[in-house]
Amino acid sequence: MVKPASILKTMPVLAVLAGLGATFALAGPIEDRQAGMKQVGKAMGAFAGIAKGEAPYDAAVVKTNADAMLAGMKQAFANFTPGSEKGPPETYAKPEIWSDPEGVKAAEDTALKAVETMAATTDEAGFKTALAGLGEACKGCHTKYRRPKE
Amino acid sequence: MFWFLSAPRPLGPDAIPQHQADLANGALMFNIGGCLNCHRPDPANASANAGLPSGGAPLKTPIGTLFPPNLTPDPETGIGKWSELDFVNALARGLSPSGDHAIPAFPYTSYALMRTEDVLDIRAYLMSLTPVKAEDKPDDIPLPFFLRRGVGLWNCLGLPAAKWQPDPQQTASWNRGAYLVNGPGHCAQCHTPRTAFMTLDETRSLAGGPHPEGDGNVPSLRGLIERARYKDAKDLVSAMQFGETFGYDKLSSGGMGAVQTNLSKLPEADVQAIAEYLVSLK
Repeated sequence: MVKPASILKTMPVLAVLAGLGATFALAGPIEDRQAGMKQVGKAMGAFAGIAKGEAPYDAAVVKTNADAMLAGMKQAFANFTPGSEKGPPETYAKPEIWSDPEGVKAAEDTALKAVETMAATTDEAGFKTALAGLGEACKGCHTKYRRPKE
Repeated sequence: MFWFLSAPRPLGPDAIPQHQADLANGALMFNIGGCLNCHRPDPANASANAGLPSGGAPLKTPIGTLFPPNLTPDPETGIGKWSELDFVNALARGLSPSGDHAIPAFPYTSYALMRTEDVLDIRAYLMSLTPVKAEDKPDDIPLPFFLRRGVGLWNCLGLPAAKWQPDPQQTASWNRGAYLVNGPGHCAQCHTPRTAFMTLDETRSLAGGPHPEGDGNVPSLRGLIERARYKDAKDLVSAMQFGETFGYDKLSSGGMGAVQTNLSKLPEADVQAIAEYLVSLK
């Protein structure tokens, strides 16, 4: 039995976590990794907006989004666990993720490094170079390990 | 009857127009044609130049594993000795210089729509590459030679009878886009579903279908704006040019990643032309 008081105590902690951009554990590994990837996609959207000139370059915005992306990515990568090859919910993960752990590890390391590089940028030129590397990293993994979505 | 209908029907010398080869156009056609994606060197051969189409990398298809041949101008193992007519027959008819039928994983039913001048430019571009000695590997398909002849029969159904015809009602750039998509780009080979005879179902042109390697489904290219896949033609241009770098994460799965890399190498006007054509498909 959870006392109302303990809920009240937990509330601020949850609010802080949400504020940091952390996502909560949902029903299972597929949901968790998809939520993580969604967070990655959201940050990527912010970067794309800057790259396309729809939003001004802002080092602080880049840093915030790079940190959120790193957290999302780590959450996603931690959830391709054995037994979660097939949904529901529908997953686009290819069986190669489980049959080629070394290849997956290399691709994940490349992606994590690309986000860290992005987080360390301080000017627009550095941002653009880092974004190209990040795009290649996303593409490298999706080309090999994700099925088409439609 | 079978032997008659399945006979190779090569083009004759009068199919070759007078033409001054344009290497830059040949490179452009080579890129949008995606030639290197299938004719890439065998990954087992670490010393091979990955940028040259020396062939030999395994290509998995529903009928078995193919090893696409060497397209570099090596006289023994490549296309060094091929005449212009040999090359045009390969692309427009799917026939080797000895008259053998190619397996239609090689998208000659799209290349058949191409202007012969563009095909000749690809040949000139390939002939300008460094020759690589890379022996042809026999395809690993459980198909006896006499059934391969059946491809000739299939060509009666699957091979277009005429070149791509521009639509005079449309703009020049729409027509350019339509040509690039349907001819050299051979988008239909994956994005158009197939009939029971494995020919392209033209009634559902570019409407998506099962992935040829069994990787789920290939998306439809119709109604891209109406279905909110892209905001407008400009958005689609960005997606083709920049892919995941601009957050367009759908252009890398199922083999599209290599295609997007090719699209990123095209002149911007051509990418805009492709977008103009695609968004007009309802």
